[in-house]
Amino acid sequence: MDLLGFLVTQCLNAFSQAALLFFLGVGLTLIFGIMRIVNFAHGTFYMLGAFIGFTTGRITGSFWMALIVAPVVAGAIGAAFELGLLRRLYKRDASAFLMVTFGLTLVLEELIRLTWGVQPLEVPVPDLFSGIVFLFDEPFPIYRLFLAGAGVVVAIAIWQFLERTRLGLLIRATSQNAEMVHALGVDVNMVRSAIFGIGCGLAALGGVLAAPLVTASLGMAANAIIDAFVIVIIGGMGSFLGSLIAAVLVAFVQVFGNYYFPDFALAAMYMLMLLVLVIRPGGLLGKEA
Amino acid sequence: MPLLLVLAAALLAAAPLVLPVFALTLLTEALILGLLAMSLDLMVGYTRLVSFGHAAAYGLGAYTAGYILLHFAVPLPFAIIAAAVFAGVLAIGVAWVCTLATGISFSMLTLAFAQLLFAIAFKWTSVTGASDGLAGIPRRPGPLGLTVFETRVGYYELVLFCLAAAYVFCRVLVNAPFGAVLRGIRENEAKMLSLGFNTRLYKVAVVAISFALGGLAGALYSPFAGFANTDLLYWLFSGQVLIMVIVGGQGTLLGPILGAGFFMIVQQVLSQWTESWALFFGLIFIGFVMLAPEGIWGLLTRRRARV
Amino acid sequence: MAFLELRGLTKRYGGLLAVNDVSMQVESGEVRAVIGPNGAGKTSLFHLITGVVKPTSGEVRFGGRSLTGLSSYQVCQAGLSRTFQLTALFPEMTARENCRTAAQARLGGRWRPWGGGPVFREASRRGDMALERLGLADVANRPAGLLSHGDQRLLEVAMALAQQPRVLLLDEPTQGLSVEETGTAVETLEAVLADGSLTVLLVEHDMEVVFRLARKITVLHRGTVIADDVPEAVKANQAVQDAYLGGYA
Repeated sequence: MDLLGFLVTQCLNAFSQAALLFFLGVGLTLIFGIMRIVNFAHGTFYMLGAFIGFTTGRITGSFWMALIVAPVVAGAIGAAFELGLLRRLYKRDASAFLMVTFGLTLVLEELIRLTWGVQPLEVPVPDLFSGIVFLFDEPFPIYRLFLAGAGVVVAIAIWQFLERTRLGLLIRATSQNAEMVHALGVDVNMVRSAIFGIGCGLAALGGVLAAPLVTASLGMAANAIIDAFVIVIIGGMGSFLGSLIAAVLVAFVQVFGNYYFPDFALAAMYMLMLLVLVIRPGGLLGKEA
Repeated sequence: MPLLLVLAAALLAAAPLVLPVFALTLLTEALILGLLAMSLDLMVGYTRLVSFGHAAAYGLGAYTAGYILLHFAVPLPFAIIAAAVFAGVLAIGVAWVCTLATGISFSMLTLAFAQLLFAIAFKWTSVTGASDGLAGIPRRPGPLGLTVFETRVGYYELVLFCLAAAYVFCRVLVNAPFGAVLRGIRENEAKMLSLGFNTRLYKVAVVAISFALGGLAGALYSPFAGFANTDLLYWLFSGQVLIMVIVGGQGTLLGPILGAGFFMIVQQVLSQWTESWALFFGLIFIGFVMLAPEGIWGLLTRRRARV
Repeated sequence: MAFLELRGLTKRYGGLLAVNDVSMQVESGEVRAVIGPNGAGKTSLFHLITGVVKPTSGEVRFGGRSLTGLSSYQVCQAGLSRTFQLTALFPEMTARENCRTAAQARLGGRWRPWGGGPVFREASRRGDMALERLGLADVANRPAGLLSHGDQRLLEVAMALAQQPRVLLLDEPTQGLSVEETGTAVETLEAVLADGSLTVLLVEHDMEVVFRLARKITVLHRGTVIADDVPEAVKANQAVQDAYLGGYA
């Protein structure tokens, strides 16, 4: 095994991992940036995405359908939840949101368990991306290449959405001055529901894409929410670019840490978080003072 | 009020005379959880430090006490105290890191730490027994040859005593100048800083105390149940403790104890006719947060005020 | 040697020079007003003095020792108490409790985890005295969040006074007050400052308030001191007139 091959495959590994982490973190950070609330149920939406993806794949036989249906359904559920419950809490302090979304986590997890059962579900890798390719004589799963690519595509898509579209502009404006946006005649509540739905949808997208690698199981949510929190803390709450950088950083630490110090890989992620917090308490690019 | 409390304590102490065995066991567990919830209230209710990782305190106490009792011939009470102190001391380091952030970031950090502890417990087979945990934890006799804690009733009275002592300790604490500072931090931390209080120190102190008491609860649990496993460190359990505090009534010390009792009752009743009791619990929790944020204790005292 | 001295205080935020080489000497017992058009850097100056923000360069000296680089709670412990432009109180606590908390901060034993009878008694005594001096005795038991805006501004001053500071920094105490409330506030402040035992730095926009209370005036414009003199001289100063009339947006 030569060094170049090793480095290339591990780096690509890290980038595919970063893509998944990015999907998790960007939704959470966008929700916080716009609404100043933290969605504790974020990891559960990720898990929901994986399960819906499994079922859609089973019914339609198409991975691409799953890729579309899961985020849309999850996003709709999220937006409905925001509309029905969260909206009444804006006058209360932030911990109320944290707790209500925690309650949602309990409810959702149980509903998922009732619908799909306790057994982890195998999600097949789509034929198009199954198999391996040889890079510098090292075997590398094509699906991971697809993931890394998907991460780049989605990152660019979100960036362009925020910068170029009308809704994106409204979202950015609302994060800076919601009252002004309201005064300009825009229904700020709709913007909020939209962003909450988009955030949940992005988490679900991460879940669908991750499922072929990690299987859809009930324990997904716990790890996902922690990962999402770590990304957002390191990158800075509310910063899109921050979550991108943090995802890459954490992925590299995880992948290379896992190779060299397998027992301490988990601790390595927390060490990184600690380091960032000591140097910059608000996260690398945080908006929060 | 104090008279009522003394009466309640006396009633609880006399409970073993009338309660059947299984009810006594449940009550013991409820009191232990009550202690855990009360310890979290110091952070959440009095200082607005919302922790999603309090299971870490419980698990730390449980594993430490279990480990000591399994490997050393130390009297039960000493093992329990040692475990509680250990949890408190460790918490100073944890608190120092977590208080680097405030608000939501603080909450996320507490969760991350608890998960880290969970992962360590899962992997460190030699010390923690990994996912099997520690089993067969003995209630060692002593000091002075005392064996009363090995009995069901004896252990129950020990737990009751610890809860009562911890309550008195907490009550004195929150009524003291230290408690007034905590309340100020809860209301407006920035103002407290500008008034000259080194708020970080106080926050670290309250987290350490809270962890020590939570560790005490855990240390009481593992000899009671005879085992300690990673379930005690799981994040959903942390959330359940938080639910006990909020539903019971935060910032009242007594409310969370009631909340723990309520939680156990509902869990027992609901799990009789559905496996999905966690779902209903989530709904109950959401209901309380949205409609009755002052909790059960708040509802009770509100009614009394009107009468 | 001046009681409170600022030497070349400068604060740069990226390209923006918020405070530019400000030097000031305040005597013990003096009431110094700091005025200037919007954006002149007055509140930034307060932030620098009280340790809320660290200066890019320069020094703050108080009673012979340097306060530069200390955090805000340390500066307060050194004897400087301040109020804020945006009212900051404990809304759920009563006015009495607000002042008691403020007073507690400067007492030994403020951290004690038990008892506290003597600490609370002394803190209440100081707090009540401050409420009295600010004319708030009759609203003492009302939650601070329910007080009128004028009373809230005065309560903030009372909290600062309850700390028995050596230097009092007031950031626009009459902001948002009606004409009537301003009149009451100025009378109250005059009475409080009458005995000359307090050194005061006062940021104000209302010139009438300034001329009634201040012995000396420092004028800031775009972060720089453009005048530093007795009120009559400042009134006549051409540069000051230009700044206010020319620089006002």
